[in-house]
Amino acid sequence: MNKKLLVLSMAATLGLAACGDGDNGTNGDNGADGDNGTDGKDWTAVNEWYIDGQRRVTKAADISVNNDAGAAKNVILFVGDGMGISTVTAARILEGQLKGQTGEENSLSFETLPHLGLAKTYNVDGQTPDSAGTMTAMVTGVKTDVGVLSQAEGVTRGNCASTSGQNLVTSLELAAMAGLSTGVVSTARITHATPAATFAHVPERNWESDADLPAEAVTNGCKDIASQLLDFSYGSGINVVMGGGRRAFIPNTVIDAEGKNGKRLDGRNLTDEWTAKYANSTYVEDRDGFLAIDPATTDHALGLFNSSHMEYDFDRTVDGVEGEPSLAEMTAKTIDILKKNDKGFVLIIEAGRIDHAHHAGNAARALYDTIALSEAVRVAMEKTSSKDTLLVVTADHSHVFTIAGYPTRGNPILGLVKGNDASGLPGVTNSTDSNGLPYTTVGYTNGRGYANLSTGGDERYGYPIEAGRVDLNYVDTQSAGFHQEALIPLSSETHAGEDVGIFASGPGSHLIQGTVEQNHIFHVINHAANLVVKAEAAQ
Amino acid sequence: MINMKNIAAIASCSLTTMAVTMTVTMGANAAVLPLNQTNSEWFKSSALNVTEKTQQENKEKAKNVILFVGDGMGVSTLTAARIFQGQQVQGNEGGEENFLSFEQFAHTALVKTYNTNQQTPDSAGTMTAIATGVKSKAGVLSVSDTSLRSNCLSSKGNELITLVDLANAKGLSTGVVSTARITHATPAATYSNTPERNWEADSNLPADAVTNECKDIAYQLVMRDEANALSVALGGGRRNFIPDTVTDGEHKKGRRSDGADLTKNWTDNLSNAAYVWDKTGFDAIDTASTDHLLGLFNSSHMEYEADRLDDTAGEPSLTEMTTKSIDILKKNKRGYLLIVESGRIDHAHHAGNAHRALMDTVELSNAVQAAVDSTDPDDTLIMVTADHSHVFTIAGYPKRGNPILGLVHNVDGNVATADDGKPYTTLGYTNGPGAVIGQRDDLTSVDTQEKGFMQQALVPMGSETHAGEDISLHATGPGSHLVQGVIEQNVIFHIINQAQSLGGTKY
Repeated sequence: MNKKLLVLSMAATLGLAACGDGDNGTNGDNGADGDNGTDGKDWTAVNEWYIDGQRRVTKAADISVNNDAGAAKNVILFVGDGMGISTVTAARILEGQLKGQTGEENSLSFETLPHLGLAKTYNVDGQTPDSAGTMTAMVTGVKTDVGVLSQAEGVTRGNCASTSGQNLVTSLELAAMAGLSTGVVSTARITHATPAATFAHVPERNWESDADLPAEAVTNGCKDIASQLLDFSYGSGINVVMGGGRRAFIPNTVIDAEGKNGKRLDGRNLTDEWTAKYANSTYVEDRDGFLAIDPATTDHALGLFNSSHMEYDFDRTVDGVEGEPSLAEMTAKTIDILKKNDKGFVLIIEAGRIDHAHHAGNAARALYDTIALSEAVRVAMEKTSSKDTLLVVTADHSHVFTIAGYPTRGNPILGLVKGNDASGLPGVTNSTDSNGLPYTTVGYTNGRGYANLSTGGDERYGYPIEAGRVDLNYVDTQSAGFHQEALIPLSSETHAGEDVGIFASGPGSHLIQGTVEQNHIFHVINHAANLVVKAEAAQ
Repeated sequence: MINMKNIAAIASCSLTTMAVTMTVTMGANAAVLPLNQTNSEWFKSSALNVTEKTQQENKEKAKNVILFVGDGMGVSTLTAARIFQGQQVQGNEGGEENFLSFEQFAHTALVKTYNTNQQTPDSAGTMTAIATGVKSKAGVLSVSDTSLRSNCLSSKGNELITLVDLANAKGLSTGVVSTARITHATPAATYSNTPERNWEADSNLPADAVTNECKDIAYQLVMRDEANALSVALGGGRRNFIPDTVTDGEHKKGRRSDGADLTKNWTDNLSNAAYVWDKTGFDAIDTASTDHLLGLFNSSHMEYEADRLDDTAGEPSLTEMTTKSIDILKKNKRGYLLIVESGRIDHAHHAGNAHRALMDTVELSNAVQAAVDSTDPDDTLIMVTADHSHVFTIAGYPKRGNPILGLVHNVDGNVATADDGKPYTTLGYTNGPGAVIGQRDDLTSVDTQEKGFMQQALVPMGSETHAGEDISLHATGPGSHLVQGVIEQNVIFHIINQAQSLGGTKY
């Protein structure tokens, strides 16, 4: 040890001397240390962990971000619904393993963004939140109650009369006021809580079509969410809207191209109203129509690709003849339309079905949808510049989803736990519990529990709730039809209350750091794009 | 609703600038945002927070570094502990609005914890990454991945230099503190090199380890040259330092079979050295005249914070050990490196006992606050992280302010019931000793907030397991701006190396 220390203290001296030279080591090249490691075991020079770690710090030291107000011309906010930290880690490993790697060393696209904060997600009246209250916080800068969309905590959920004077202005509305282009994209129904909070103001997230409005809401003049999307009156209106939820836009007397009835009772066909309202507008409802949109000639695009939510990404490619665009494709097309505006744009994109797959206790689909989000962010990273575009990727809340046991490196993330032997080499047999039964790495503390179905996903709701353990020998836990075991039997696996990650790059991204309340995200976006000031100037 | 104390502190730091900024911003807001939005405390406090962040200045060089490691302190543990602490504050608004001391630090990163051979890691491999800048296998301490676990011969030549070695070589003072045995994996990775974390005393060494001259961990702590010695080592694990023929002051036998009393070696070999083993001895230490302090307060691990006052001979708290350590270390004009582990968050989780895990996390928060209060923010980098997480979840849809250790009560105030008609706790584990066999217990009349309550779990195991998702890193002080993004765990070493110019590379 002493001999080694001597070597090291020499290195220390050399290192300190080099410090004085000023611009050293920007490329992380370790070669200049020369004498370091004369005993032939200079781990500082040969160990890749060491070199990579050093390189990462150099990268962090070299980063420079423009934090000035208004430095961001464009803002793109991605929300992975229900994408907690455990989901991000598991998806990273799955994506790496699908590429033939061990997986743990992989990074999803947004994990390479330079800045990171942690968001406290609770709602004003909920310790563990829902998507309505959380998205309201992100787009208005104000926390509110569970179930409420872009109205303040003074409202009573589901009570229209209580909403007077409670509306909050959203970042999307401010952008439109300021003359920026705007877009909302989701794989869920576009009237679902997360996307809806960007353009609608209601005391009840479930008021998606007029058929969902109770008499009290009608009497007191509350409008359903889909109609509020059409009523959006700021600036030039929303430029791009893409997602599912067609049924809330068409009459209940109309059957759509996929054979599903509309839901509207008022007879309005909001898709027709969309094309009538805007010049250079289009409405599409399948992937072929989507592909035919020419961004150069289209200023207002509405795409509703499913009667309800769009398909899970895992299932998308087999969704019949109509097909749906991927989240990455929707992202690319939307950016192409929005970026025509020299003043810039604000685009809000939700990967809405990570959440749904978790609720169904189906980790495979949750992870595949997380990877699809990573691909969408990658498209955004490629199509924009970090010099003028603030990119923020976050989640609204987490799920009770865990990565358990001591699996060996590279163990299939959806597989049974197989550990290491006493020497630290991969073991031969599965790890087992106190009863000698194998167990999966990923699992849930509550939900509908185990099922091994032919398809999986929402199919799970057709089978009984089954809490507790089963014998998983001979079960293919990696198939998409497999649903993980759960402890507490519930009709739907629940959200979880711990903080979620916020990943950011571009102007103002340096303000995304530390542990912050979720409404902090609005204020960073507002500061970076100067939305309030620009909106006021445009009045 | 907001942390007014924090806001007040921020405002007083840069009052003039802040006032100007706020005036401008609020004036502009009036036209397009309604007053119920701009006047909301949620809105105002976050706007202020953003303004404050725009005014941060980065400092590059740290004279002192204090690294806190909460063993097993995953993100869910932080959130639950924050609420647990917040709910004990008079006039709280639910507890969720609270911040642990280090959650107010400006800089954060997420840390990838896996070991080179393990998807979900152990504390030995993870602390090796933090202490040496190099990831390694589970179970090994500051030897590289080339070594096999438990194989002495294979570890030869693969020893790694640690932060403690580097700091000592630079002439800084060094200290290691833990509530676990000071020979346990996390603290041991900072000062020892061994292919097996369990070789805590010589009696743990197998024959081939003895033959190949691998030394036990306690020996490696004490038998260092004065130039490379720790100035402070405080924690549990007394048994590994005293002979198996000796019974200690708390009536426990030692574990050394070589007859050595390493506590005597400590005081004999080092200048101005002292050894203490209870709270009275600890309190009596004069930091001005003590340059080398060894404190071993329990035969095995120190008590959980929840049980500390019941200890036989009395133990200092993690906060007290932290401040005493700083008082000794700060005498060195060149600076110091202090590594503090809250070691028993992990143990409480392994036992499926959330209450003790949260209490130990709150005590870590207190210790960090004490470190902040007794150091200069201009010259001291303080970092707080975990080594790995646990399968510990915050479930259901409890209303705001619902007791974090209680049964879930919905927003309407009614107790939530599962499909089996029984209530369930907010906190739970996917596996561990609390596992349900057959029917779940009906918790209706059980005090789930009581200190000994063991949460229900899914997969039955004698010990609840670690979890594999990323953990967080919180930092303040010079060099803390290097804490960014999602990083591999070994990057933590490199941040310290750079900030404190430890010279492990050409920095």
